[in-house]
Amino acid sequence: MKITTIIVFLLFLIIQPLYAAKVKVDPSEFGVEGGNACVDCHFKTSAGLAEQWKKSKHGQLGMNCLDCHQAQTEDNDAIEHEGFTIAAIVSPKDCGRCHVTEYQQNSSSVHANAVSLISKRLPAMAQNLGGKAIVAAGCDQCHGSVVKVKGDGTLDNATWPNSGIGRVNPDGSKGSCSSCHGRHEFSKAQARDPSSCMRCHSGPDSPDRAIFEASKHGMAFFANRDNMNLDSDSWVAGKDYTSGPTCVTCHMGAAGKLPANHDVGLRNSWNLNTVVSERQQLVIFEDGDKMDLPESQDAPDPGTETTKIDGTPGIVKMVIPPERRRKAMSVVCLECHGKNFVSSFMEQFDSVVELYNEKFGRPAQAIMEALYDKALLTPTPFDEPIEFSYWELWHDEGTRARHGAAMASPNHTWWEGMYLVGRNFYSKFLPQVREVAGKEAEALIQKHVKADKENHGWLDQPNKLSPILGYGNSKPGGE
Amino acid sequence: MRWPAFLNLKTIGLLLSGGIAGAVFILVLIEFDHVTSTEEFCTGCHSMTIVAEPYRQSSHYNPTSGVRASCGDCHVSRGVISATWDHIKGTKDLFAQLFGADYDNPIVNLVHLPDGAFHAREWFRERQSDTCARCHVLDAIKGTRADTLKVHQEESEGKSCIDCHINLVHRKVPGQKVFKRDAWNRMVEEEFGLEEGMAEKIRQGLVKAPQP
Repeated sequence: MKITTIIVFLLFLIIQPLYAAKVKVDPSEFGVEGGNACVDCHFKTSAGLAEQWKKSKHGQLGMNCLDCHQAQTEDNDAIEHEGFTIAAIVSPKDCGRCHVTEYQQNSSSVHANAVSLISKRLPAMAQNLGGKAIVAAGCDQCHGSVVKVKGDGTLDNATWPNSGIGRVNPDGSKGSCSSCHGRHEFSKAQARDPSSCMRCHSGPDSPDRAIFEASKHGMAFFANRDNMNLDSDSWVAGKDYTSGPTCVTCHMGAAGKLPANHDVGLRNSWNLNTVVSERQQLVIFEDGDKMDLPESQDAPDPGTETTKIDGTPGIVKMVIPPERRRKAMSVVCLECHGKNFVSSFMEQFDSVVELYNEKFGRPAQAIMEALYDKALLTPTPFDEPIEFSYWELWHDEGTRARHGAAMASPNHTWWEGMYLVGRNFYSKFLPQVREVAGKEAEALIQKHVKADKENHGWLDQPNKLSPILGYGNSKPGGE
Repeated sequence: MRWPAFLNLKTIGLLLSGGIAGAVFILVLIEFDHVTSTEEFCTGCHSMTIVAEPYRQSSHYNPTSGVRASCGDCHVSRGVISATWDHIKGTKDLFAQLFGADYDNPIVNLVHLPDGAFHAREWFRERQSDTCARCHVLDAIKGTRADTLKVHQEESEGKSCIDCHINLVHRKVPGQKVFKRDAWNRMVEEEFGLEEGMAEKIRQGLVKAPQP
């Protein structure tokens, strides 16, 4: 057996269960009594959603409104509605009554933890630059709100409506299935279509929409959408469709012997949305929760206690190294590409991440740390122009370069990515360092930038001619 | 034909004056029921001005048609006898106002509001929302959207107005089955900046509510 096969086999044993499970509830149990009365009225009062439900698989199988919306009187968000006790929010826990596997997989994913994951970033963004209104209509619509039920039984409009993927629901469960599986049709085809991911994965911090569209994968998908078999029950890459991948294909989908999984981050070996990218280990807890852990941090031993993403303690079951995650992703690639093609592509990608890290991410981080240490900057975020330059360097431009390389868009890797990182670094960030640090600036730049001859040595060659900026046009040999 | 012997001038006089007194009494009752059903009378007590605030923002106070429902139009039964009985029963509210908790204090008022709301809803339910029918006729409810007519024609069997329409006029209170006292108390505490646990103590009369 080849090493790859062994690793993939081991991965199967670790990531339970093997295949996206079928619903085990017997269809004779669908259709809660009384629920058809809801339908009668809702075809009149909200025909749009009623029609969607009727067309949906749920509707076809005889499930009615109460199957999903029923609630117990003691539930936090229960309301009385036409004689029934219901809840407006159908949480992942509710969906999980039937979709057990998907619920378990998603609950421990980075998607479900999208609120905790930005808890350190949010205050500066939300309070300093934005405000409460932006949190409700912006941040929380993708990351998810912590839904608040008011004492009068209504849902606080600062937290609802909300379809953010990491929504913290009144029943304590995390996530929102309808974030991708739009209510009330819950179409598989829609969730598999890149457009469902693009609602949030677009814009500066997650520029995947534009990157996918500009990549060969996107080209293949958009040209062959009709052949993608998007609404098929079984949807295994290389078997049920071959024209091209969608976001789901690589990040969640079944491919060859690799099972589908609702934990979207499982196959990501790098963290590409940090100042300096690190390969990440996957910590799996006894209770099924998971957490990414940078490679530079020691893996906790199985059986020991460590802190989870949400700050609560958890007992470690096992730690999966980044290489195994990379292998899982590569299994998908191998459905359409040769082994050498895949490994070489991954090396090209890794090289871009490492170049970004070493040439820009680390030096910029070290300089900022020094400026704060020397009290040349106030600790308050975003009250000095250099803080914007630094933030955009890694969070916007740096992320775009790294994602561009990960998903094979040449333009986003360079022009929309690393070129902008470089332009920012040399023409904005460093001049601002000189402004802020005055006499101390040169020493800082020497230590953290110029000392790296390989990457920044060109700064010490002021006489090296280049005709692209006009120099030497009139001289022999100039363009 | 002869008049019966007992029908002399004296008894006729007595009967007549009795009849007139009775008629006057009925007229006085009607007038009494009318006067004691007005917004002005009801909000004569400060506690009622608090519940009247949302009412004055509601469509029952300011509909485009100009039809304004007074307190009594909804909360006092139709017919002199029933209306008078309601008023007699209603004196318990007067006693509560005079000798009960300090309902004039907005905190106390809000803490106790759900009890009043549940009681009022039950009152409507027992009467099949009869007072709504003072103005609303089921067959005539058309609404501005097509579904309003259809829902009222096809989905209203066995139901009276209150079964679907709550929280139309006064401050929102959850249904009784799903009501959570703790959550309500927390809302009151947040709204008036009280310490946790204060609302329950105020409700039980253990501490005096501060004046907000």
